[in-house]
Amino acid sequence: MSFIDTERLVTMANQIGDFFAPYPHARRVEGVRNHLRNYWDPRMREAFFEYLDATGGPDVHEHVKEAAALVRADTAPVRAYAGPPKQLDATS
Amino acid sequence: MSTTNPAPAGTAGTAGTAGKQVWTELRGLREGVDLGTPPRDGEPVTLTIDGVETTVPAGSSVLLAATVAGATVPKLCATDTLECFGSCRVCLVEIEGRRGYPASCTTPVESGMTVRTGGERLTALRRGVVELYLSDYPASDIEGGWSEFHTTLEQVGLTDGLPADHPYRGGDHHQHLAVDESNPYFLFDPAKCIVCSRCVRACQEIQGTFALTISGRGFGSKVAASQDESFLASECVSCGACVQACPSDALIEKSLFPGGYHRADSGQA
Amino acid sequence: MPIPVKPDNSVVTTCAYCGVGCGFKAETHEGRVVRMVPWKEGKANHGHSCVKGRFAFDYYAHPDRIRTPMIRASIDEPWQEVDWPTAFAHAASELHRLQDTYGRGSVGAVSSSRCTNEEIFLMQKFARVALRNNNIDNCSRICHSPTQFGLSATLGAGAASQHFDSVLQADVVLVVGANPTEGHPVFGSMMKRAVRRGAKLLVIDPRRTETVDSPHCRAEVHLALRPGTNVLVLNSVAHVVVTERLYDEEFVRARCDWDDFQLWMGLVGDERYSPEVVGPEAGLDPEDIRRLARIYASGPKSTIYYGLGVTEHSQGSTGVMCLGNLTMACGMVGREGVGVNPLRGQGNVQGGSCLGSWPHMLTGYRFVTDPEVRGSFEAEWRIELDSEPGLRLPNMFDAATAGTFKGIYIQGEDPVQSDPNRHHVEAALRSMECVIVQDLYLSETAKFAHVFLPGSSSLEKDGTFTNAERRVSMVRQVVEPLGGLADWQITVGLMNAMGYECHYDHPSEILDEIARTSPAYSGMSFEKIEKLGSVQWPCNTDAPEGTEVLHTVQFPRGKGSFMLTQYVPTRERTDDQYPLLLTTGRILSQYNVGTQTRRTANLAWHDEDVLEISAGDAAARGLATGDRARISSRYGSTELTVRISERVNPGIVYTTFHFAHTMVNNLTSNLDDWATNCPEYKVTAVDVVKAAAHAGVGS
Ligand code: SF4
Ligand code: SF4
Ligand code: FES
Repeated sequence: MSFIDTERLVTMANQIGDFFAPYPHARRVEGVRNHLRNYWDPRMREAFFEYLDATGGPDVHEHVKEAAALVRADTAPVRAYAGPPKQLDATS
Repeated sequence: MSTTNPAPAGTAGTAGTAGKQVWTELRGLREGVDLGTPPRDGEPVTLTIDGVETTVPAGSSVLLAATVAGATVPKLCATDTLECFGSCRVCLVEIEGRRGYPASCTTPVESGMTVRTGGERLTALRRGVVELYLSDYPASDIEGGWSEFHTTLEQVGLTDGLPADHPYRGGDHHQHLAVDESNPYFLFDPAKCIVCSRCVRACQEIQGTFALTISGRGFGSKVAASQDESFLASECVSCGACVQACPSDALIEKSLFPGGYHRADSGQA
Repeated sequence: MPIPVKPDNSVVTTCAYCGVGCGFKAETHEGRVVRMVPWKEGKANHGHSCVKGRFAFDYYAHPDRIRTPMIRASIDEPWQEVDWPTAFAHAASELHRLQDTYGRGSVGAVSSSRCTNEEIFLMQKFARVALRNNNIDNCSRICHSPTQFGLSATLGAGAASQHFDSVLQADVVLVVGANPTEGHPVFGSMMKRAVRRGAKLLVIDPRRTETVDSPHCRAEVHLALRPGTNVLVLNSVAHVVVTERLYDEEFVRARCDWDDFQLWMGLVGDERYSPEVVGPEAGLDPEDIRRLARIYASGPKSTIYYGLGVTEHSQGSTGVMCLGNLTMACGMVGREGVGVNPLRGQGNVQGGSCLGSWPHMLTGYRFVTDPEVRGSFEAEWRIELDSEPGLRLPNMFDAATAGTFKGIYIQGEDPVQSDPNRHHVEAALRSMECVIVQDLYLSETAKFAHVFLPGSSSLEKDGTFTNAERRVSMVRQVVEPLGGLADWQITVGLMNAMGYECHYDHPSEILDEIARTSPAYSGMSFEKIEKLGSVQWPCNTDAPEGTEVLHTVQFPRGKGSFMLTQYVPTRERTDDQYPLLLTTGRILSQYNVGTQTRRTANLAWHDEDVLEISAGDAAARGLATGDRARISSRYGSTELTVRISERVNPGIVYTTFHFAHTMVNNLTSNLDDWATNCPEYKVTAVDVVKAAAHAGVGS
């Protein structure tokens, strides 16, 4: 059983993706990463990752998937900020 | 001795646009003090009130200056949340070099003015004016009352001997007009209305709804809501600004009458 | 003899009904409130008032008030009255049991904007130190959460930039998605005063509200846009500003991030946002969009006031950003008479927002994910805090229906009635094992509760409120709490029962704690507020007496940021089956979901929620004013009485949501703001048909 209905999670994630879509690629991904990391309960993130692992996320925007991967890989200290997505020096 | 108007503080910036003026007016209001007319923020003007040198911003009324100087000038139609109107003629003063007895609420201050706010002549004149209002006010509602009107009665020395000597006995009055109790929260008793139009002006200037007017003329003039409808049926939004402005308990909160509102006077139920 | 009772005592306090936060003198006679008199020195109202604060105070003594705590094992059982210690012990043991069984994160709390700053602060403290998680949210989630997000993103502070009086100095007043004369009457009066003195009024709102046209106050331009097209239309206004070069380049260069400005110009300057393209889609005359943009940009002092018509959309946060961008582009921020200002609904929504009642933020809008921020609270509270964001209220309900969230402590809110998609909320509550409701009455939500804690009204406690202009004013106890305890005492009681020891003698000590932990409040104390009458945050060493106008020298982050606000149409669309768009609002005499005003004589003006419909749409359905109609959406249906109205355009219907029995939130969708989950109350595709029979016709 998923923590929250996956359809709902996918909708939310894609909506976030839609907002950041007009930014240049690296910033677009960072915008979504920052949002998922700092606004989503970890169990929601986990459920979302599980869904991506299980299905490959055919209905999830590409840059949202990239952002999800960044959140998962995030070992560096959390960058928590409001405002426009920042250009990341290195994307993994 | 010299006093300055404490009201309009913190008004840095460029010279008075219309908007800025209102801003000052509102910010100058103080609880417990009725300056009589709204505070202004013009250049300082110095005048003498009852021998006291007083400085107030240009554009202020003599009534405001007198209040700042510590004088008590009786008044009925003026209050500092509303622009002056000058209808009741209770706030008369003497100004050196001017003929007659100008209303202090509508007279702007001028530099070097010398104003007298008291004295027998003025008191007699004011008493004469207030007596007219009193003659139309229900006799049973005078003793124990605590409205602005009641305070004015005291200020001009008209409470002695009441209600027995109430000048209204036998005179013309408005007690045949029904009380409007349609609004769930306040009522309007035309018998107590002195037609100062403060409610009408509050509805326009403060609330901005324009629901009230004075209809008719002379003794027949009265406060009307919209097209002479009940308060509840009218455009009134029940903000309470008129009740707040009314000096004579004509517009008043129902909650102050726990047992209901019953007229006692002259055969009225 | 009709001599009025003379009050024997008077206490200055703050109205709890709306975000204007009017000052009042509560006058009592022999211990009972006999009238509320507007306070002339109140800086929000200057002696003015509206029907709610002035007259509708009787709710506090209504017979429906619950005065004793109650518990029950299941919601099908009758309530059992208990004493306070028993109620606390029972609630605490239930919460512990759930956490032991389902995990620490399976329970949460919701604070209320009807409560004081101190009580809101305590609620988030409760979640963090007693529940040991960050599952704490507040009711601004469903109204102004996008404000906090959108204004923080652009200007760096999620609150009004001005004080109310500032509107009197404006040359142009732009009202977006708000109806101040109804929603925020005392501010509405002040705005009308500004217009009568010559300020130009611009309105963007689907309805022709009283704000658009009333005696001596008429909008110069009114954009009656199709609900859901805010961002499109605001981008179009920005398009005109950019392509006609109406922006204030000097201001932008000096105060804002120039690169992001360029990026933004590229987006809104695109042909797809030109008025000629946008007009037909939004149902507007392109020339009106141009006129509005030109008047706004030419000022010289233009100010923006906006309401739920901006925030309650799937692009609510984006819409707020559009406004932030616009003020910066035109240099309309940082002085008197300009700025961008949310008009907030309930009394203390601003307080709810800035006192850390968020799952991802502590006081002062600082992230829980930031170790330094957490550290300062850990030092104050001597306990380790959860480093991960918690659940927002809608996600708590989502998780509950998925079976992973089991208990909730709700203070002074009625989500069953106020939150979208009533079925979903009810199902969520029903699936929980412990619902604790703290309220004045047995609310709709209390039907699903296992513990009921009788709360206190704002006349029954001390504390502070923060109004929509960031003004912190005193709330003073006028009468004893009817249930014996003030709301803050209830939360403290529950906190102790949960095993976290804490004690306050007076709410002023809670404000002191807020000051110690929150930069914007650091200079505040009861003493100072008493002395100055009220104080606007930020109040700190730089501004010891508070701050009237924000952003005068620089933005909190330094440079202001233009955000890219691409228009993404809502998924809620009309079709053959649901051809009309329903939008919702509020009316003067009733307060939000009306749990208080419905218990007063304000019913004399508004005794039911009515559906406004245009003459053409009504005729096509054989409807006349007074008829009952069934309104159906993809989510549910309800019945309302119809009123044919010129206020709404063809294709649009409108209603309020003040009465539980009309269940308007049966209709609304589960779509919400992309950034904050603020529900999309303002756009629902519906159909309206004449109701079959007379099923409970209202009055
Ligand atoms: S009702 Fe009161 S305020 Fe209005 S005109 Fe009469 S006395 Fe004056
Ligand atoms: S409801 Fe709002 S406008 Fe009305 S009195 Fe209360 S705070 Fe003021
Ligand atoms: S108070 Fe001056 S004329 Fe009435």
